Amino acid sequence: MASRYDRAITVFSPDGHLFQVEYAQEAVKKGSTAVGIRGTNIVVLGVEKKSVAKLQDERTVRKICALDDHVCMAFAVITIFIGLTADARVVINRARVECQSHKLTVEDPVTVEYITRFIATLKQKYTQSNGRRPFGISALIVGFDDDGIPRLYQTDPSGTYHAWKANAIGRSAKTVREFLEKNYTEDAIANDNEAIKLAIRALLEVVQSGGKNIELAIIRRNQPLKMFNAKEIELQVTEIEKEKEEAEKRKSKKST
Amino acid sequence: MAATFFGEVVRAPCRAGTEEEEEEEEGRRETPEDREVRLQLARKREVRLLRRQTKTCLEFSLLEKHPCSRFIIAIGSNAVAFLSSFVMNSGVWEEIGCAKLWNEWCRTADSTHLSPTEAFCVFYQLKAHHSVILCQCSCYVAEDQQYQWLEKVFGSRPRKNMQVTILTCRHVTDYKTSESTCSLPSPFLKALKTENFRDQTCCSLLEQPNIVHDLPAAVLSYCQVWNMSAVLYLCYTDVMKLDLITVEAFKPILSSRSFKGLVKNIPQSTEILKKLTTTNQIQSNIYT
Repeated sequence: MASRYDRAITVFSPDGHLFQVEYAQEAVKKGSTAVGIRGTNIVVLGVEKKSVAKLQDERTVRKICALDDHVCMAFAVITIFIGLTADARVVINRARVECQSHKLTVEDPVTVEYITRFIATLKQKYTQSNGRRPFGISALIVGFDDDGIPRLYQTDPSGTYHAWKANAIGRSAKTVREFLEKNYTEDAIANDNEAIKLAIRALLEVVQSGGKNIELAIIRRNQPLKMFNAKEIELQVTEIEKEKEEAEKRKSKKST
Repeated sequence: MAATFFGEVVRAPCRAGTEEEEEEEEGRRETPEDREVRLQLARKREVRLLRRQTKTCLEFSLLEKHPCSRFIIAIGSNAVAFLSSFVMNSGVWEEIGCAKLWNEWCRTADSTHLSPTEAFCVFYQLKAHHSVILCQCSCYVAEDQQYQWLEKVFGSRPRKNMQVTILTCRHVTDYKTSESTCSLPSPFLKALKTENFRDQTCCSLLEQPNIVHDLPAAVLSYCQVWNMSAVLYLCYTDVMKLDLITVEAFKPILSSRSFKGLVKNIPQSTEILKKLTTTNQIQSNIYT
């Protein structure tokens, strides 16, 4: 029975489960949906923005944040953490310190893979220590390395990390991932604009109130991070809806 | 005596007789005060079925007063939202009663305008066709109140020629499987039926160990005992709050016999559902 082996993080169950780590993955599903896409010349991060309480300052609810950027802002690494907010804040701070420490020590900015590995190692430590619980967060980390290749990594509470072409985390992540599997084609990501539209379309599968509840950030090769404002997202959403209507008209013409 | 994990020493129960038995007997005798407290608690936890407008109690059980051939019960916010958007907009429904109850987890709301966040249990009848009764139950009915609820709704001799359909949701982690919950295609539907239910279910049956809990289980057991035809559609989801995708997972049920003639305008229903799910979307500060 799960209940006998799920009270302490450092106890395996007879069939090899670490239940606390699996329960931490459930905590991630309570957060909003986030999607990351790796294009040919662009990386896109989008997240569902839920409304805040009336008296709460919306600016304090930023989800996409930079882990590191150069003086020339060309090699930014941005990330989004989904799950327990407080855990996310702590890990982001540690990752930022590590980015600077790396720069001071070896005089080079971190690669996306390095910082992902650092975050994953940190998370793994908390699945093996006595008296601590795992971090209840998953992260999508994107950026460009020195060699100009775009990268997208995902970490989860167990401390594993993998590179992805496109992925989603948080609430209803499975639905979004299935959408991405169907629609992620080489054509879709060759064009920057198409990659952005794919991210927004994926989010619209699960975001209930359209473009105004989406936060989007992109990095193009050799360009600084760009956060989309509400108007730009609305424009993309309108284009997507137009394309959908035209596709449906073409379908109905074909069938008649 | 036994020590718990936290170091407290507790009295372990002993089935063999002990010398302290006589002392215990005295202690167990109820004082008038205890009796009074127990009666007050029982009164507080009583389930009452009322006509909401007049606030008078129904003298007979609900289904004795309003016999029907189809009784559809939605338990939980997602099931309630499904009925509200897909079934209740297809005709004029009049309210025939509501259940008022109190327990540690819920106090049913008193107001006439109910918001999706409040707990309530209301019964509706289709005006044009008195043969269908709906129950929207978004409150938690505790174990000691379930039998009272069943008696007040079904009565002591329920009609056998009525078909009961129950809709509810559970968290996907309740689904017993050797696979990891991450690989399950949640939300998904499973069905559990009584022996007398002869129709085809709209989804696969719940596999062994097919355990269900709370009020849906109580209703299903009651129907089985009284040889009534009943089916429970259980949606396993990873989002227990009101969620568009979870509610839409109930859609296959619309083609079943229980819902024949009750569903008219699906696009409008989808709009109503979207409105319902967006009214209550304040971000929790704990989860980002």
